[in-house]
Amino acid sequence: MSVTLSKLSLRNAKRQARDYLVYFVTMVLAAGLLYAFNGLVFSPEVEELSARLSNLPGMILAASVAAVLILGWLVSYTTGFMLSRRSRELGTYLLIGLETRQVARLFFLENLAVGGMALVPGILLGNLLFQVLRAILLALFGMPYRFSLAFSLKALGLTLVYFAAIYLFALQKSRRRLGRMKIYDLLYFDKQNEEAVLQTGHRRRWIFSASLALGIIGTGLLMMGKMPFGLLGAVCIILFLFGFFTSFASGVPAWFAKRPARKYQGQSLLIFRNLTAKLATMGVVMAIVSLLFTATLISEGTGMTFSAIFHNRMEKDAAFDLFISTEDETHLDRYLEEIQGNIPVVTAHRYAVRLGESDQVIRYLGEATDYYRCYDADAVIASSDYAALRSMKGWPPVALPQGHYLIHCEDYLADPLEGYQESLSLGGQSLAPAGIQQGRLNQNLRGANGHGFLLVVPDDLALALPVSHTVYAAVTEEPVSQAQFRALCLVREESSAMIHDTLKAKAIEESNAAVWTATTVFPLYYLALILTMAAATILTIQQLSESDRYRRQFQLLRKLGMDRREMGRALGRQFAIYYTMPALPSLLIGVAFLLDLGSMVEPGTLTGPYHPGIITAETMGLFFLIYLIYILMAYTTLKRNVLPEA
Amino acid sequence: MLEVKHIEKYYGRKNNVTKALDRVSFTVDDGEFIAIMGASGSGKTTLLNCISTIDTISAGDILLDGKSIARLSPQDLAKFRRERLGFVFQDFNLLDTLTLEENIGLALALNHADPQEVQKQVAAVADKLGIGDILEKFPYQVSGGQKQRAACARAMVAGQSLLLADEPTGALDSKASKNLLEILTRLNRDMGATILMVTHDPYSASYASRVLFLKDGRLFNELLRGRRDRSAFYHEILDVLALLGGDVSDVI
Repeated sequence: MSVTLSKLSLRNAKRQARDYLVYFVTMVLAAGLLYAFNGLVFSPEVEELSARLSNLPGMILAASVAAVLILGWLVSYTTGFMLSRRSRELGTYLLIGLETRQVARLFFLENLAVGGMALVPGILLGNLLFQVLRAILLALFGMPYRFSLAFSLKALGLTLVYFAAIYLFALQKSRRRLGRMKIYDLLYFDKQNEEAVLQTGHRRRWIFSASLALGIIGTGLLMMGKMPFGLLGAVCIILFLFGFFTSFASGVPAWFAKRPARKYQGQSLLIFRNLTAKLATMGVVMAIVSLLFTATLISEGTGMTFSAIFHNRMEKDAAFDLFISTEDETHLDRYLEEIQGNIPVVTAHRYAVRLGESDQVIRYLGEATDYYRCYDADAVIASSDYAALRSMKGWPPVALPQGHYLIHCEDYLADPLEGYQESLSLGGQSLAPAGIQQGRLNQNLRGANGHGFLLVVPDDLALALPVSHTVYAAVTEEPVSQAQFRALCLVREESSAMIHDTLKAKAIEESNAAVWTATTVFPLYYLALILTMAAATILTIQQLSESDRYRRQFQLLRKLGMDRREMGRALGRQFAIYYTMPALPSLLIGVAFLLDLGSMVEPGTLTGPYHPGIITAETMGLFFLIYLIYILMAYTTLKRNVLPEA
Repeated sequence: MLEVKHIEKYYGRKNNVTKALDRVSFTVDDGEFIAIMGASGSGKTTLLNCISTIDTISAGDILLDGKSIARLSPQDLAKFRRERLGFVFQDFNLLDTLTLEENIGLALALNHADPQEVQKQVAAVADKLGIGDILEKFPYQVSGGQKQRAACARAMVAGQSLLLADEPTGALDSKASKNLLEILTRLNRDMGATILMVTHDPYSASYASRVLFLKDGRLFNELLRGRRDRSAFYHEILDVLALLGGDVSDVI
C-alpha cells in the first residue's frame, strides 16, 4: 500500500493531462512560445545587432507579461473548471478525513505536475521555434542562417519564472476557492442548478438592444483612430460583447418559445436545447472569448499592416544604393567630399528636380484620388537626367519624341494617370503626353524624385525652370555601411540650416525596415498566437467536458430511432454555431478596424499584395487556420467519443 | 453514543425557505443498527448529512459521546471523520484512478500510517467483506455489489465506530442487496459497529434493530424490532408505511 499524497497527485495529473488534452497541448505550445521568444531576447544575434535592436527585448518582455496574464487567466479558468467537475471526488477526500488544506495541497500539486509535464516538451518545442524565429530575424537583416542547437539557460530561467507566475497565481486562487467550499457543496455540486445570467425578458431585450448600439458606436470610434475616441471605442466594444452574450444566450429560448414551428423543424430542437444549455450559463465566458478573438485579430492584422508599411516604405526609399537631395546645391559638394575616398561608387549622377509652371497634374490627382500635395507645382526632370537614372537602374531607354512629355510614376498612380491626356504648357510651348513609365525611383514625399510622379520634359525646356532641389544618386560597390551613413549624417548635422537635406541608403533603409518589423511585428504575432490559443482552448474544454452527457443523449436518440448520420449532422451543426458565435462579432469589428487602419496610411503605401483588403483577408485566414485546428481537434474527439458505433 | 437534539435545517433564502428538518430528536446507543425511512423529500438524507458533518444544522445540537460535533474545529472535524465516521453512498463514491485496495486504504495512507500496517488492515477488513481476492482491481472492473462492499470496507478500515449509509442498496440488484445487508448485520453484530442507514426499501430496513420514520422533516414514528423475526418486522414496517399516507407509493 504505497499511495502517498504526491503519488496520488501524479496519478491524477496524468489523468488530467489525458482528459484535458487540448488544454495540455496549449500549455505545451505556450511554454514553447515563451521559451522561443525568451531565447530571442538572450540570443547572441540580437546582442550583436543590439545597437539597432535595442527595443526588441523590451517589446518582447512587454508581450510576454501580457501573455503571462492571459495564460494565468486560462490556467485559472481551467483549474476552476476542473475543480467543479471533480468536486465529488474532492468532497470524498474530505469525507474520508482529509483536511481542507491537504485536499488543496493535493489539487495544487497535481496541477503543478501538469504544468511541469507541459514545460518539458514545451522547452524542446521552444528550441525548434526559436530556430524558426532566429532564421526569420537573420533573413530580415540579410545575415546568413546556420542551424545550431544552442540551449539558453537564461531563456529557460525566464520561462520557469513565467510559468511559476502563471501557475502560482491560478493555483492560489483555486486554493482559496477550495478553502471556502464546504464538503456539502463539493459532494452535491453536480446536483445544483445553474442559473442563467439574465432571466427577465424586458431587461434582456433592453440590454441586447443597448449592446448592439454600443457595438456600432464602439467600432465607429475605434475606426476614428484618435486616442481619446479609440479608448472610448474599446470600452464600448467590451460593454457590447458582455451585454450581447449575456442577453443573447438567454434570449434564444424566448425566441423559440414564440416560434414553436421553428423549434420542431428538423434537428432544431436538439441543437437549440444543447446550445442554450451551454450558452445560457456561459455568457460571460463567451464575451471574454470574443474579446480575446477581437484582440487577436487586431494585433495580428496590425502586425501585418505594420510589416507591409515598413516593407513598402523601404522599397519606395531604397531605389538607389545612395540618394542625397538638398535645396542648397553647395551642400552637395560637402557630401561628395565625404563620399570621395570613403564610399567606392560604381556609377553616379547629379541632377536637379525642378518645379513646372503649373500644378495641373497635382490638381488632377487630388480630384481623382486621395493624393495630397508636397510641392507647389508639378515636379519636372530633364529627359537626359531621366535617361541617366534609367541607365543606373538597368532599365531600357525610353525615347521622348519632340514636343512631348512623359510621366514616371509610382505603381499606385498609374491607373489614374492613364486617363490623363492634358497637354503641358512650358516656356510658351505645348507638350503632348507621351505615355507613362513605372518603377521604383525614390518618389516618396519631399526631397525625392517628385511625390508619386515626375514629369520628364525636353532638356531645353527643363533647364529654364526653377530648381526645387539638387539630387545625387549613386550605385555603390558595396552596400553603404552604418558607419559610412553616420559620417554622411554628421555632414548634414554640421549646419542647422541643412535640415532639409534628404539622405537615403538602400542598405540602411532595409535595416531600418527589419528593425521595425522585428520590434513590432514579432511581439504582435506572439500575442495574437497566445490569445487565439487561450480562447480556443476554453471553448474546446467546455465542449469536450460534455462528452458523457452527449454520449448518453445520443444513445437515447438511437433508441428513439435517430440515424447515426443524422446524429453526426446535428453534432456538426451544433459545433458550427457554437464556434461561430464568439468569432462573429470579433470578425465584424476586426474587419472594420483593419480596413480603416489600412486607409489611414499615406496613399500608395498599401498597394498590390499589401492592399488593406488582402491584409485583412490574410489576417482572417491565419486566425481561422489556427481556430479550425482546435475545432477539428474537438469535433473529431467528440464525434469518436459520443456517437454510437455504426 | 449519539444524541440528536431538536435539530432544524432550512434551505434557501429570503422568501423561498424550505424546512428540511423540523425539531428532530433521538438517541443512538453503541452498537445499534438503525434504519431511517421516509418518502422522497422527507429529510432522511439531510438528517444523515447533518450527522456526518457533510451538512450543517440551522438549530439544535448533535452530540457524539457528549461532545457537540457542530462546534468542532476544522481540524477536529477532519479527525472525527477520519477516526470515528464511515460513510457509504448509494453510488459508491470510489475513486476510479485507484484500485480497491488503494481506495480502502487511502485515508490511512494519506495520514502517514505505516504502509505495511495499512496493507494489513486493508486485507483484514477486505477478507471480512469477501473482497480479499479482488483488491488489485479497479472499480470499473468489478460489479456493483463488490464496489459497495469496497465502500463499506473503506468506511470501516480505520476502526470507525459509526457507519452512516445513504441508500447503500439503491444501485444494487436484489442478490447483491441481500449480500450487503448481511455484511452490514455482521459488521454490527461481530465488530460492534453502530450503523445508521437511510433507505426507502422496507426489506433493507427490516435488517435494522430500530426504524425511524420521517415525514415532512419531522420524526413521525419509531419501530423497534425486539425479539421478532425479520419477516414479522418487515410486515410491521409495511403497516407503518401505509399509515404514512399519500406518499406511500414512493416508499414501497
